[in-house]
Amino acid sequence: MYDGAAIQVQDLRKSFGDVHAVRGVNFEVRAGEIFSLLGPNGAGKSTTISMLSCLLKPTQGDAFVLGHSILRDPQEVKASLGVVPQDIALYPDLSARENLEFWGKMYGLRGVELKRRVDEVLEIIGLSARQKGKVGTYSGGMKRRVNIAAALLHKPKVIIMDEPTVGIDPQSRRHILDNVKELNRQGMTVLYTTHYMEEAQELSNQIAIIDQGKVIACGTHIELVKIVGEMDRIDLTLNTGSPEVVKRWRKTAGVSSIATENGTITLLVEDSNQVLPRLFESTLPGVRITSVNIQEPNLEAVFLHLTGKALRD
Amino acid sequence: MKIFDIALKDVKHTFLSPFSLVMMFGAPLLITGLLYFAFGSLIAGGDSFNMPLTKVEVANLDSPSGGFAAGGMLVEFLQDESLADVIEINIAPDEASARKAVNEQRADAAVIIPPGFTSASISPDQSAEVMIYQDPTLTIGPGIVKDLVSHFMDGFSGAKIAGQVASDQLIAYGKQTDPDLVHDSAQQYATWLQSGGHDSENAAVPSLSIVSPARETQSDEQGQNLFGQTMAGMIIFFVFFIGANSAQSIIHEDEQGTLSRLFTTPTPQTAILGGKFISIIVSLCIQVILLLLASSLLFGIGWGQPVTIALVSAGLIVASAGFGLMLMSFIKNTRQTGPVMGGVMTLTGMLGGLFTTGIPNLPEAMDKVSLSMPHGWALQGWKIALTGAGPAQVFTPVLVLLGMGILFLFVSSVLFHKRFAS
Repeated sequence: MYDGAAIQVQDLRKSFGDVHAVRGVNFEVRAGEIFSLLGPNGAGKSTTISMLSCLLKPTQGDAFVLGHSILRDPQEVKASLGVVPQDIALYPDLSARENLEFWGKMYGLRGVELKRRVDEVLEIIGLSARQKGKVGTYSGGMKRRVNIAAALLHKPKVIIMDEPTVGIDPQSRRHILDNVKELNRQGMTVLYTTHYMEEAQELSNQIAIIDQGKVIACGTHIELVKIVGEMDRIDLTLNTGSPEVVKRWRKTAGVSSIATENGTITLLVEDSNQVLPRLFESTLPGVRITSVNIQEPNLEAVFLHLTGKALRD
Repeated sequence: MKIFDIALKDVKHTFLSPFSLVMMFGAPLLITGLLYFAFGSLIAGGDSFNMPLTKVEVANLDSPSGGFAAGGMLVEFLQDESLADVIEINIAPDEASARKAVNEQRADAAVIIPPGFTSASISPDQSAEVMIYQDPTLTIGPGIVKDLVSHFMDGFSGAKIAGQVASDQLIAYGKQTDPDLVHDSAQQYATWLQSGGHDSENAAVPSLSIVSPARETQSDEQGQNLFGQTMAGMIIFFVFFIGANSAQSIIHEDEQGTLSRLFTTPTPQTAILGGKFISIIVSLCIQVILLLLASSLLFGIGWGQPVTIALVSAGLIVASAGFGLMLMSFIKNTRQTGPVMGGVMTLTGMLGGLFTTGIPNLPEAMDKVSLSMPHGWALQGWKIALTGAGPAQVFTPVLVLLGMGILFLFVSSVLFHKRFAS
């Protein structure tokens, strides 16, 4: 029985013509843990996932799922993985049950076993009562849950979830996060991609921060936050957009990084008590600071520290 | 097994789609049905144009004279079998009841033969008259009765003229005329005339021979054959359409994300595309069988020998499935499918001769052009099958269709493999 890493990624690269989507990614997911790939849109998360799912062939490098190479044993990799795609990939004119039965068959399940597993996963996602409704008539959250259920039917040891909570209501999101934790408690290894820092923080044993096709940091939440050190994070808003003020603050003593997103200016500073008065002093006439929020460092601060830009840029 | 699971899912999807059902069965049957009901009787030369019978009351008040009864002859003439599908004769006991029948609209016209009609009709110095009493709102039926009676009366006029001419000639040559002889001559002439002796076509020695092209006995068969060809054209067109429409599911699933998801399962790509191909074949088989049965029941089309039909159907189905898949392998997204499918299907259908099946004597070049398309070969196969030909006679078109189908399938497999290979 295989007892190594659930997933090993070795120098994985993927280029589409001149565009280098993934540029030498390395990480290792231990069996039984939840591993998050955290990064903004376009960072290369989905391309990495697609290569691990054998949907895309890497330009270079290799990856192993439960010891099977994605290049040499794609069928074994596919059989041992459950993949939850980012977009809803279900048949809207079939019911939830019919969808699950079909996907179960694609993983080789038949007869009584198929029926039992469909019943079980419908129970897990809380849709037993609505199983006969056509998926096309479901809410976004319900579709997301069925989308996940389809990847659980064959009881995979490793499940890959590509941003499974995008565009859904908070209640469904909560339900999905609880499901992920429950699956992990049952022994499933989860590779989870997200651009929501809170999700990565809540779920993960290990987090790899990915940007521009490269893993720029990897470790536990605590290990990653330590990268930022003793720095404080300050979120400020101004009464008016002023690039000149941002320029001035960038040069202010004690400011490590600065990024602007949706009118909020986020700074990483060494000591907020000393830096904050300097920020007020260096504003321009007519520009007023309308709010100040000082926070403990988090993953967003780490990303800002490492890349010089906000996570959701 | 997975290949059949994929096929079953797609077949189910096709048959749950109202659009597919309309294009599969509704459209071809409706178009052929419209042609059938609009032009059916004309094309088939059938007897569906039936003028209603004209009801005629005949009151014969005449009495025979010397064994000769002109009134009776007129009644017999009107009751002739050859007129049975034009007029319906009822004998009235007297003039009043004949008139009453017309007044009460139980009859369209009344023919009243007056007393002394016989002697008046052959006597040179008397005038014979028959009264026609008709419903004034009717024109065609009573008009026919009037023409028939006039035709009959012309015979007696001819007899009288013949008798008069004979008498005048005898006098001119200084001979004595015997009035009884002249009367007898006129009577014999009238009898001969009314017994059909004047019929230029059907007399013992006909004076006129009218020859028509030999089409009467074949018209029904020709009409059915023409409908068969029209329906065959519709079947071919809509089978190719549904072939492409079903193949569209690959593009649709690609956009929907389910195709990518299928590729993440341990299901070989060949099984996925094979399942799609089987689903198209099954859908088309059901379509062809139901269309053949329905057209046979609704329009009475005799499609020919079962084995021949099966062979032509198989060729058509394989060719259209391959054609549909190949067409879709060139299309990038579902936004393109509507215009491309509509355009390509119409153009290839036209070139294949599907829209000109009812037009006779087309230039030979058009036949040659049609054979550049699988549609043309399919139509040729159906035309042969419709004649009741055996399997050996459709061997060439079926072989060409199967060859084209396999070629199309190969091209589409290569293109799809290239497209989905990462």
